[in-house]
Amino acid sequence: MLTLATASEFSHYVPLAVLLVMALIFGVANLVLTHVIGPSRKGKVKGTTYESGVNPIGTARRRFNVRFYIVAMTFLLFDVEIVFLYPWASVFSSLAEDSGLTPVFLGRCLFFILTSIIAFAYAWRKGVFRYD
Amino acid sequence: MFSAQVFVSMLVVTIALHVILGAVAYSVMLERKIASWVQNRIGPNRTGFDFGQPFLPKFHFWGLGQPLADGLKLFLKEDYTPPNVDKVLFIIAPMLAVVPALIAWAVIPWGGYWDFPGLTVFGTEIAQPGMAVVTVAPINIGILYFLAVGSLAVYGVVIGGYASNNKYSFLGGLRATAQMLSYEIPLGVSILIIILMFGTARTDLIVLNQAQGILGWNIVWMPLLAVIFFTSQLAEANRTPFDLAECEQELVGGFHTEYSSMKFALYFLAEYAHIVTGAAFFTLLFLGGWSIPFYVGQAAAGGLPLVLLNVGVFAFKMFLIVALVMVIRWTIPRFRFDQLMQLAWRCLIPVSLILLLAAAVLVALKVPAIHWWMLGVNVLTFIGLVVIGPKVPKGPPVNRKIPLEGSRFSPLTTS
Repeated sequence: MLTLATASEFSHYVPLAVLLVMALIFGVANLVLTHVIGPSRKGKVKGTTYESGVNPIGTARRRFNVRFYIVAMTFLLFDVEIVFLYPWASVFSSLAEDSGLTPVFLGRCLFFILTSIIAFAYAWRKGVFRYD
Repeated sequence: MFSAQVFVSMLVVTIALHVILGAVAYSVMLERKIASWVQNRIGPNRTGFDFGQPFLPKFHFWGLGQPLADGLKLFLKEDYTPPNVDKVLFIIAPMLAVVPALIAWAVIPWGGYWDFPGLTVFGTEIAQPGMAVVTVAPINIGILYFLAVGSLAVYGVVIGGYASNNKYSFLGGLRATAQMLSYEIPLGVSILIIILMFGTARTDLIVLNQAQGILGWNIVWMPLLAVIFFTSQLAEANRTPFDLAECEQELVGGFHTEYSSMKFALYFLAEYAHIVTGAAFFTLLFLGGWSIPFYVGQAAAGGLPLVLLNVGVFAFKMFLIVALVMVIRWTIPRFRFDQLMQLAWRCLIPVSLILLLAAAVLVALKVPAIHWWMLGVNVLTFIGLVVIGPKVPKGPPVNRKIPLEGSRFSPLTTS
């Protein structure tokens, strides 16, 4: 009975597209409407960058701390790992008992996770996660 | 003409989008009410639906007109674009924030399975009868869609912060990016563990596996995982105690400092939509979705009354989670940025990896009563955390004095 409602048909993505279009229309309509309805006054001081009422010093396009870059790199390591693990996770518990594939699948994935853990330990040891 | 599933999905799109927008507006009101109750005040209770117009009848309605009045006010404000911003990015950034927030809930199974009777108007068959999941998209990637769309939310924040050409906005955008990226990993791993346990990524099957009274719910068997997911969800939605991206004392408004009128409102709306969506996914993954507590023989599929009951149960659980998030905001003070990053990288990620390894081994061994094993692993990991946690070597103290160089208040420059 419940298998009738299973999903592998492409037509199930159509309502998703409708939802996306509706959300886009909501966003655009709000921006356009408020631009039309609201008042518009311009001024020299009004246009300056807000820095707590002080005259702005320099520009905001400047160098920033390299730690943010390291966080991004470490994130890539783990995020790619997790994405690779999703197909494994969804079929792992339904492997056939007598196929003998369970130890192979488990072993390969443990090795895969182990490589990430080594990288994580290296990053920890190098002080990536210390924010002092 | 339409199949039952497509028709039901269209129905859900139409209703749920409006309900979510309304829920977001009224969760702002709920937030203000809860804040006032926590602080021993009364909160907004004056604005009815007359908006101060003398020709409309005066009712206060316990202040329920407040969200509408707020929205109207934001519409009537000036939509100002400062001259030194990056104009194109500045305008599309709020949309990049609000669109993912409004489509992320597409895979939530609101009301179980509907034995749809079909719809015929004037002899023309509009929808065929059949079994349908009460959701927007019953797609087989399921919960993966939530992660994919949730990652897109970073763009709105970081592009808005960069385009504003303001130091506060830039720092806020950077912080928000680092925070959202870091907390996405424990979020992804905890979802991975659930997929591993149930062997499916489809949201309706995840709920169906839990729908056996309260003893089927994941929060009973994996409490530590639920805490990890909830914490990461709070950080993903930029909520206190993790709202470092917009903390008023340090960064004025964070990434939306230069925004006004409806552009600001779209950011605001996106934040609350993230809370509502996060509550829905917590309900779905850990609180058993539409399953009624202490009632075991719940039918999986049925007619319209059962579907409405299921939607009611789901919405009630979501409401409890949203209220909890708001109470947390007014109870727990804000973290410091280094504490925030250390919580993610030195605590949540290793713990979630340990739970993932344990779950993989348990599933591979095909142990009987895997739920009890998982509960044991959770409890043991928690005890291990309490024991080992204080013994992990700490870095040097961070509260040291930083010399003020180059500032006009600095003693170096005055001499």
